[in-house]
Amino acid sequence: MSKLTLAIPSKGRLMEQTTDMFARAGLVVRKVGHVRGYRGEIEGLPGVDVAYVSSSEIAEALKSGSVHLGITGEDLIRENISDAATRIRFLQKLGFGFADVVVAVPTCWIDVSTVAELEEIAIPFRRKHGRWPRVATKYINQTRRFFGMKGFGDYRIIESAGATEGAPSSGMAELIVDITTTGETLRANGLKILDDGVILKSQANLLATNAAQWTPENEAVCAELVGKLSASIPKKATVR
Amino acid sequence: MAAETTRSLEALASHAQTVMSVFTKAGYDAVAPAIIQPADVFLDVIGESLRARTYVFTDQDGAELCLRPDITVPTCRLHLERHADPMTPARYCYNGPAFRFQPQGATVAHPREFRQAGIERFGDKSREVAEAETVAIIIKAIEKVGFKDWTLRLGDIGLFSSVLDATGVSPNWKTRLDDAFLRPLSFRDALKSFAVGVRPPSSSIPEQLLSSLRRDDMEASEAAVAVYLEEEAIELIGTRSLADITEHLLIVADERREPPLDARAIEIIERYSGISGPAITAGEKISALIKEAPNSSGFALETYDRRLALLANAGIDLDRVTFSAEFGRTLAYYTGLVFEVNAATLGAKSPIAGGGRYDGLMRAAGSGADVPAVGAAIHSERLLAAMGGKAS
Repeated sequence: MSKLTLAIPSKGRLMEQTTDMFARAGLVVRKVGHVRGYRGEIEGLPGVDVAYVSSSEIAEALKSGSVHLGITGEDLIRENISDAATRIRFLQKLGFGFADVVVAVPTCWIDVSTVAELEEIAIPFRRKHGRWPRVATKYINQTRRFFGMKGFGDYRIIESAGATEGAPSSGMAELIVDITTTGETLRANGLKILDDGVILKSQANLLATNAAQWTPENEAVCAELVGKLSASIPKKATVR
Repeated sequence: MAAETTRSLEALASHAQTVMSVFTKAGYDAVAPAIIQPADVFLDVIGESLRARTYVFTDQDGAELCLRPDITVPTCRLHLERHADPMTPARYCYNGPAFRFQPQGATVAHPREFRQAGIERFGDKSREVAEAETVAIIIKAIEKVGFKDWTLRLGDIGLFSSVLDATGVSPNWKTRLDDAFLRPLSFRDALKSFAVGVRPPSSSIPEQLLSSLRRDDMEASEAAVAVYLEEEAIELIGTRSLADITEHLLIVADERREPPLDARAIEIIERYSGISGPAITAGEKISALIKEAPNSSGFALETYDRRLALLANAGIDLDRVTFSAEFGRTLAYYTGLVFEVNAATLGAKSPIAGGGRYDGLMRAAGSGADVPAVGAAIHSERLLAAMGGKAS
């Protein structure tokens, strides 16, 4: 019989915070075999196999159903799974990995503080520069959905793999959509968040996928895991 | 989606032949624009919203291309290639595949690969005649294929502008309201905020700076903005210049001086947006509403009435025609008449044909000026589905 597979971040701050969270719930996560390997287990929950996966690939693993459960940021789920509402179950907010996906423009644009004002400048901008304002981002799907919802379409997306905040000052784009936690990096790059420009307030989540095969045993182990975790996470830790 | 059956392939081919023969007999020139199109033109014309539903890819040379999401833009490009003067009158018809990503998954009514059989006509001087003929020929083609049980829904985005003229709102208000109307989700809220003022105070524009700006002295205005940025230790970065920012601030200042939208205009706009129903009664309702407006003398429902009369002349049963003031607000590039042909069995969300007027599209495709343009396409798979999957 196949075990419940849980994908957790394989490195960095998210991995540490995940391990700490399990510890607070009285669960010890440890690697199986070689210390540089990618498999693990949870002491006291023998029905669970742990897979260490990079956080961006966790969204892919949930999408394809190669794991049952995963821990990753909501931003990555919303970006990589277009039908997340039907495919993914959000089981528990975990109270760490906070990040906002935001629309940010140069602070010197004192005439622009809302998406509506952004839209106003798009037409004169095009008249002068011969193209729509460019938005640098790696959050392409969320950018389109958000602007689409606001009825704003006069822009072009420039895919950005990294250091997105630098795009406006280097002239690669006029504005950006990116994640921020404190806003410090944005400020350092001469950028400000639009008043109505918060696309998503994201944090790490425990997620289940309907794309995987679930046995009744898997469901039972999952319920036990969720019970233990949620009991150890104070409600207010998940709210900002 | 599963591969189609031989039978539906044959049925679709036979429908296409019938439809194309109706078009070509009426003087439309059959064309086959390229399936693979430069992505740039589409994205600039239709914007990022449709990009989300377009298959975009990069070829081996790094060129950004797409599988055409419709055949209207490719036909505009073809017209521009054929004629040095884009105003040259021309009529085209086509039949072929178009491609759209379906975020909720492909279904029979919303496939990712579908056939469109349609017409586009450019440079017609008589607007309503071109519109009525377009609607009539689409209906004729659908009937010729064997589907008789259609209904027709009309809308007209341009009519909203005429209603605004009748209410006597200022040009600033008119621009704002025209824009707001195209955003149905926020329209009611926008109207509410307009009762207070055309532009709410902004969190990032200091009132003092705003009131010091003068349109007749750009130099001093720019200098004032520069001083403000320096005082606030805000660095000027990016592609927008000080002049760009100052010019927009001047527009903001103008709008700030504009008195709030009056209650009577708001009421008329709200009542107009709510009009929906049989086309003949809707026309009567609009007439009656406009009579109450302050500037009603200049308003004429001529276009509306003339279009209906022309449709009736072309043999369209007006009892099967409805009008909705809000219809067309969210459709990408239409500028005037919009229409949809529906089949009861498929529901309002899956029209079997649709089209309208799009005078601005040719300019966006590179003509340099607006060109009168009306077009429509039949969604071949849906028409087949409406007929129960059988060829006539």
